[in-house]
Amino acid sequence: MIAQVKEAYNQAIFDTDKNAALKVVYEALQQGLTPEEIVFEVIVPSIEFMSTSISQDFGANLAQHFMTAQIAAQATEELISKFKSPPKIIGRMVIGTSHGDFHGLGKKIVIGCLKANMIEAVDLGLNVTPEKFVNETIAHEAQVIGISSMMMHTANGKNGCIRVREILKERGLENKIKIIVGGAPYKYNHELYKIVHADAWAENGIEAGKIVTKLISEVRS
Amino acid sequence: MITGMDRLIAAVNGEKSDRIPVFCNMFDQGAKELGMSLKEYYSKGEYVAEGQLKMREKYGYDNLWSLFYVGKEVELMGCGNIIYSDYGPPNVGQMVIRKPEDIHKLEIPDDILSHPKFEESLKCLRILKKESDGKYPICAYITSSMTLPAMLMGMSKWMELLLMGPEELRDELLAKCNDFFIKEVAAYRKEGADVLFYANFFGSTDAVPMKYFMDQSLPWIEKDISSIGTKDIVYFCAQARFNNVLDILLKRTGIRSYYLSPLDDVAEGKRIIAGRGLICGSINDIKLIDWSKEEIRNEVKRIIDAGMPGGKFLFTTAVMPLAIPEENIKIMLEAAYEFGSYEK
Repeated sequence: MIAQVKEAYNQAIFDTDKNAALKVVYEALQQGLTPEEIVFEVIVPSIEFMSTSISQDFGANLAQHFMTAQIAAQATEELISKFKSPPKIIGRMVIGTSHGDFHGLGKKIVIGCLKANMIEAVDLGLNVTPEKFVNETIAHEAQVIGISSMMMHTANGKNGCIRVREILKERGLENKIKIIVGGAPYKYNHELYKIVHADAWAENGIEAGKIVTKLISEVRS
Repeated sequence: MITGMDRLIAAVNGEKSDRIPVFCNMFDQGAKELGMSLKEYYSKGEYVAEGQLKMREKYGYDNLWSLFYVGKEVELMGCGNIIYSDYGPPNVGQMVIRKPEDIHKLEIPDDILSHPKFEESLKCLRILKKESDGKYPICAYITSSMTLPAMLMGMSKWMELLLMGPEELRDELLAKCNDFFIKEVAAYRKEGADVLFYANFFGSTDAVPMKYFMDQSLPWIEKDISSIGTKDIVYFCAQARFNNVLDILLKRTGIRSYYLSPLDDVAEGKRIIAGRGLICGSINDIKLIDWSKEEIRNEVKRIIDAGMPGGKFLFTTAVMPLAIPEENIKIMLEAAYEFGSYEK
């Protein structure tokens, strides 16, 4: 039965049909699948399925990423409340847009994908100062800082990732906290993440889920 | 003397001039030329016009821009807060649409030209028109019906409404934005803008799946374009790729000029358009910040080698971040003039 549920859910996600996807989830619950089975054997693998499907089609498009993240986040959130015991959260990331940047879409997509990957996301919102990124990371005992930038000057400016790195260095936190960046400028220069002294970048939310998982395990190892 | 307008007209008609037209899209750099902050620079149409004229004179490229910054359009629709930075373009600081009722209340100005928020743009346009005297095409930036809502309510909320509905509300907003679009185009044309950049992120399959493009984006593009005609329109997807819909666009809308993404394959674009229109090949100007002289020249040559054969080609940039060193701008433009020459 789980194979059919998986197939129906994947199709709904690919068609960016939120109602259809949620219907599959509710029906699966009625048919006796556990919330844990649906999250870990349907929703999480579907993110991987989307990644593969998109790359084999015509390249990633924003609408599919957006909808994948939205649906996965909503479905996961609803199902987690029905788990027999609270799920094991693998780690935590604070995320926000860099100082001077008011574009929040990328951040929202990433948060959706993180939730489905059992990574807790602390949303710091828009226009976040470097100091706030670091202070909130410490306060929430997060392992990763995610900095989203839509514009070049907020990606490579002195109040963005570059300053966050300096603060981590000044406070001796570089081994405890990793930085991941994302957003339009990084798509046009794949080396830019090194220039701004980040540890990694992600092209989209699906990739971000995988890379943040890896960064968390690096910090914890 | 051959002018930028001569080069553009020759390229559009598939004829040769001294070289291919070279457009360079610099905005914030004008403030640096005038030695003022970006906030001060964008406060007066006279400053923006002077900045544009000075930069064109200094670097020798072929176009002028009447655009201040992209958020200017939503100021005409009620946005009262623009946030300035010293390092890059201003941001929209207040969403005009915050709740569904705001869509019902949204009012489209009847006359853009007499709107107080258009006063400085109008001054700028008139100065550029007078000073350029038809020698250099004046570009205007007009956001499509489907993309304008992203600036009115934020990209995230717009994508939710666009993809999940309610459809009536979505269509009401699209219709209002189409009304604004038509009026804005008329205003720019009346005041002499020569080239209108039709900016539509949702006209790219980097933004939406092909099916969605065909079912939703394309009909709205047709609606926009059929209302205004195609003669001065350049199709532009905010640097997103659209080679895979180029043929459909050409057949369905009749637009004859296409501004490819730096990530599109220029040679493929030329093959698809097959002489039916102009291809604008753009350099990845984010990389111009860090590229060496040799890298810049190689990249300019690669783009021009792919686009120039067969004519109907224009070399251009994306939106030129402020961080690009002046020396690199000169290297890029000199390489474009050299490799794009018909007199070699």
